[in-house]
Amino acid sequence: MAKNSAARRKTFLAALATAALTAGIGEAVAQTKTRVSIGVTETIASHNLYADSVSLMYAVFCQSYGCMFDRDYAAGIYVSRIVDKWEVKDPTTWVFNLKRGVKRSNGEEVTAADILHSINRAKNDAQSRQKHNVRYIASAEAPDPYTVVMKTTEPLATLLDFLRQLIITSKAQHDALGENADREAPLGFGPYRIRQLSVDNFVALEKVAGHNEVKPENPDEVIFRIQKEAESRVTALLNGEIQIAQFIPPQLVGRVEAAKNVKLVWEGSTEIMFLAMSPKQKPWDKKEARQALAYAIDRDAIIKAILRGQAERLDGPIGPGQYAYDPNLAPKYTYDPKKARELLAKAGYPDGVEIDFYTPVARYIADKQIAEAMLPMLEASGFKVTLKTPEWGTLWSNVQKGGVPFYYMGRGTVIDPSAALSQYFETGGSPRIGYSNPEVDKLLQAERQEFNEPKRIELLRQSMALITDEAPAHFMWRHKLAWGIAQNVDYKPLATTDILAVDIKMIPRQRAR
Amino acid sequence: MIAYFIRRLVGTIPVILMISLLVFLLLHAAPGDPAEMLAGDQASEADILEARARWGLDQPVLVQYWRFLINALSFDFGRSFRYDESVMGLIAERFPASLELAIFATLLAIAIGVPLGVWAGSKPNSWVDHVGSIGGFFGISMPNFWLGIMLVLLLAGSLNILPSSGRHTFGVPDDPITGFLLIDSILGLNWESFKDAMIYLIMPAFVLGINMTGILMRVTRSSMLETLSEDFIMTARAKGLDERSVIWRHGFRNALILVITVVGLEFGALLSGSIIVETIFSWPGIGNLLLQGLTARDYPLITGVVIVYTSLFVVVNLIVDICYAAADPRIRLAK
Repeated sequence: MAKNSAARRKTFLAALATAALTAGIGEAVAQTKTRVSIGVTETIASHNLYADSVSLMYAVFCQSYGCMFDRDYAAGIYVSRIVDKWEVKDPTTWVFNLKRGVKRSNGEEVTAADILHSINRAKNDAQSRQKHNVRYIASAEAPDPYTVVMKTTEPLATLLDFLRQLIITSKAQHDALGENADREAPLGFGPYRIRQLSVDNFVALEKVAGHNEVKPENPDEVIFRIQKEAESRVTALLNGEIQIAQFIPPQLVGRVEAAKNVKLVWEGSTEIMFLAMSPKQKPWDKKEARQALAYAIDRDAIIKAILRGQAERLDGPIGPGQYAYDPNLAPKYTYDPKKARELLAKAGYPDGVEIDFYTPVARYIADKQIAEAMLPMLEASGFKVTLKTPEWGTLWSNVQKGGVPFYYMGRGTVIDPSAALSQYFETGGSPRIGYSNPEVDKLLQAERQEFNEPKRIELLRQSMALITDEAPAHFMWRHKLAWGIAQNVDYKPLATTDILAVDIKMIPRQRAR
Repeated sequence: MIAYFIRRLVGTIPVILMISLLVFLLLHAAPGDPAEMLAGDQASEADILEARARWGLDQPVLVQYWRFLINALSFDFGRSFRYDESVMGLIAERFPASLELAIFATLLAIAIGVPLGVWAGSKPNSWVDHVGSIGGFFGISMPNFWLGIMLVLLLAGSLNILPSSGRHTFGVPDDPITGFLLIDSILGLNWESFKDAMIYLIMPAFVLGINMTGILMRVTRSSMLETLSEDFIMTARAKGLDERSVIWRHGFRNALILVITVVGLEFGALLSGSIIVETIFSWPGIGNLLLQGLTARDYPLITGVVIVYTSLFVVVNLIVDICYAAADPRIRLAK
């Protein structure tokens, strides 16, 4: 009897070990197609294409359904799969000529009716969170199946930047299937199609055979696995469960660097990190106090010690690669506690001033640690700081209402800075900072309406110089993001953090797992 | 018996009502606005106001609660702000994953904790008792977020014998029938899917159940100690019964009431307390759903999930009461 149970135990353990080993080799099981699994931090909240607005979602839908425009970040131009050419007829009228013969995977041609339908859904779908993308479109018409005429609410040179995130869906499918069209007919003209979307869990894409953008070395399947926990993401990368891990935090970079089967790739980001100071509240109503804070913080020391070099200091709202960047933008704030104390005294606070400093926790890379590192620097310059770390929902709600006087935060996907500058620094923009300056307003309005590119760049640079001098926000850095990539995969991440399957290549003779 | 069930079920209605009201009021009192949270950082004031009106958030709280209550009578908890789907649909979709995890964690805890407790209780102050007690305290005091990450590093990382996260391998054929992967794979005689589901389940279930294992071990041990010192145990031994029968048939059966109570309470706690484990292991269950709801201040989703949790807790306790009667014939439920 005892012998029998020992034998049973052995059999069970052997079965368990076999099962476990099978798991170890992960998704390679009986597979002939090439597959790349990617551990990502964001999720897609809905099957409704217009019901969310996060970067993973735009990237997935733009490469499957297709968007009106895409941004070639390296070349600094807008490109399109469906628009052949466009023309600004007058400052508020744009004419787009569509390419003929662009077809979805079911053979249905993309026409102007689909563009109008998509604008309508982004604007009027009851669940749409993409209204901001079509906010400036007053009307759109289709004089023929291959022409779209858009009227904007005001002269708007940056319209293409908004259309970059306009997902194009089929009017015919929506007419036939109604609300279920997105879930039941995921048809697009992109190089990959959605095979399965499990909300909060994973998105599976598969290559569209014969599409002119796909190459044999692109993986047949790309799986976006939502893995918010960084340890899990890195472990999955090292043991081969996934082949690309997004955003390796500074403390885990060493583990990835030490592994032989993966490589670490660095890429900048288009998210700008800043300290916001609301001029509606004391002491930030004084320009000198705001500038004092800018001189009080040693950003280089924080980048070196806390971020382990994984950030690029910003001398102004944007950095290299972002539209209208000016390397000579002045003033430049260097770490100078003496000057900070002088400025604070000039602002009327010779004995220092008490301030509350708000930071999110675990929202951005090392946010709380960064805030803590700033405390002694601020104290040394005369700011008596109380650090506050409310839960994100509470903090964000108060920031949105303009109720937070001084906080650390980021603004993502800044390619052309026009929208971000307007949102934060133009009178009537969001109340998050509450800054108002007629000169800045004038410059921002002028740049939006300027269709001559060199002139527009100059106006943007003037506005950014003024904002930097006025310092309603002190611009800190752009994070350098670390990506872990398996040795059998060739991939160069984009600064926008969009992951496009056509950029991923399998290295020959090694099959993806 | 039937009258007892009906009485118990009717008795839960005011409990659920009170809890729903409490959750509703607390959520609305808490800082944070769903419209602001969900509209995104590029939304205009007009977009936020429009979202607020669409979701009825511009109405007085009591009006919102009354509407919620009327709809909840027909098990309609409204539409999730975040997911744009019916709350009941979302719960139904995610619940099997959480229930499967909780059941497996409970079975693991029973399989480890109860025999260890019986063993330790039947040999007090022996090395078995000492080792068992240390194991019990380890289980009780171990924070599962730490243990989870450590096990991921060890079993998925260094040893590479289990997957780090997720519920199943993409591409392994499955036969969705009930949503419980193990049951579905058995029903479909799909052993590849069964094996796949099992290896994904082991680590999160162990982490989720470790605390319960420790508690069960300690409770079983003390219950056994008490039972084994009773006169009827001495009688059983005097009658010449072998030690195994004395311990398991007489001792353990009488110690079982307390164990059942703890299993029932802990099972309810496992169901509602799996948020951390589901996050660590990217487990697509109801805990993860609740966390997303809380972050987005998704009022209908949070209220719906809490009501479901409450109802489950009540049902589990009812089942525990039935188990009492099965374990001890002296207990009559109708009285």
